Amino acid sequence: MISLRWLVLNTLAATLFVSGCTTVNTFVVLLPEDGGAASAVTVGDNSQSTVLDKPYSTAAVDTRGGIETKTITAEEANRMFTDALAAQPPQPISFTLYFESNSIEVTPSSQPMLEALFAEVAKRQAVEVQVTGHTDRVGSDADNDRLSLQRAEAVRTMLIQRGINSNFLRAVGRGEREPLIPTPDEQAEPRNRRVEVIVR
Amino acid sequence: MKFVSQIVPAAIFAALAFSAVSSAAEIGQIKNTTGQVFLLRNNQQQPAKPGDTVEQADIIITGANGSFGMTLIDGTRLSAGPNSRIELKQFRFNPTTQEGESLTELHRGTLTIVSGQIAKRSPGAMKVQTPTTILGVRGTRFAVKVEE
Repeated sequence: MISLRWLVLNTLAATLFVSGCTTVNTFVVLLPEDGGAASAVTVGDNSQSTVLDKPYSTAAVDTRGGIETKTITAEEANRMFTDALAAQPPQPISFTLYFESNSIEVTPSSQPMLEALFAEVAKRQAVEVQVTGHTDRVGSDADNDRLSLQRAEAVRTMLIQRGINSNFLRAVGRGEREPLIPTPDEQAEPRNRRVEVIVR
Repeated sequence: MKFVSQIVPAAIFAALAFSAVSSAAEIGQIKNTTGQVFLLRNNQQQPAKPGDTVEQADIIITGANGSFGMTLIDGTRLSAGPNSRIELKQFRFNPTTQEGESLTELHRGTLTIVSGQIAKRSPGAMKVQTPTTILGVRGTRFAVKVEE
């Protein structure tokens, strides 16, 4: 009789677990990064905790803080989080555009990058764009502050012409302060005559 | 005395200006919504739509067919499925030093996260709370589900 009762209880417990009616309250799963790797999340506090550091490792935390770990499949994780995963915004992307000397003209070799920027901005919902202009070290600091801002504004204007809401476009100039390639003052360096654009 | 009387109002004004700025600062933006999604701020609930900015202490709620995605200014990406309630309890980020800390609570529902600069710069400085546990984020992609 005792063994039969155990069997019934165990079956009942198994049924409850499968139907999701246990006391499990929080379920955490570590997902692989875009590159396929994964890092880590700690679950719990000082009294009871675990570290998830393998893709698809999971922790189920019950209402008393008890933790159970196991590994699930990618399919199970995708099924459990279908809608949330589908709503995940795309990764921010950055673009670098190079400019002609003492000019706000984008170089011919940067035209394809400019087109790629326009395409990326057009396909994102509620897009935010941060435009930061830079110069090389030829000329005065004040002139370079002005030129770097004019370069950033030139890119900003092109984006507004393509219908991007100006409220979500920020343009700043950093002058010659942040060279990509460090040089002595007054040295021309085409790689420092640039605008960096972050699309989010 | 004259010196003091000029300094004190200036200091008070600066403190007021600072608190006004910090309490209403944008910490992120709603990027996409599906179905019913609401933004709860100062006990006022309104429909959330792509482009809406979010602030510390905001709560985002999804209905039975709702989902949304948002980005925070440190590059963190959050997205939630149906019947979810997410509270942006604390958020502090310095764009220059890339340092900060955050606490997000998932009261119910499903939440997926790709962590940004806060967790990258200081592993564990980004935390996610649920009714029964707390997560310390070292990075970067994970998902959380809370059943009531």
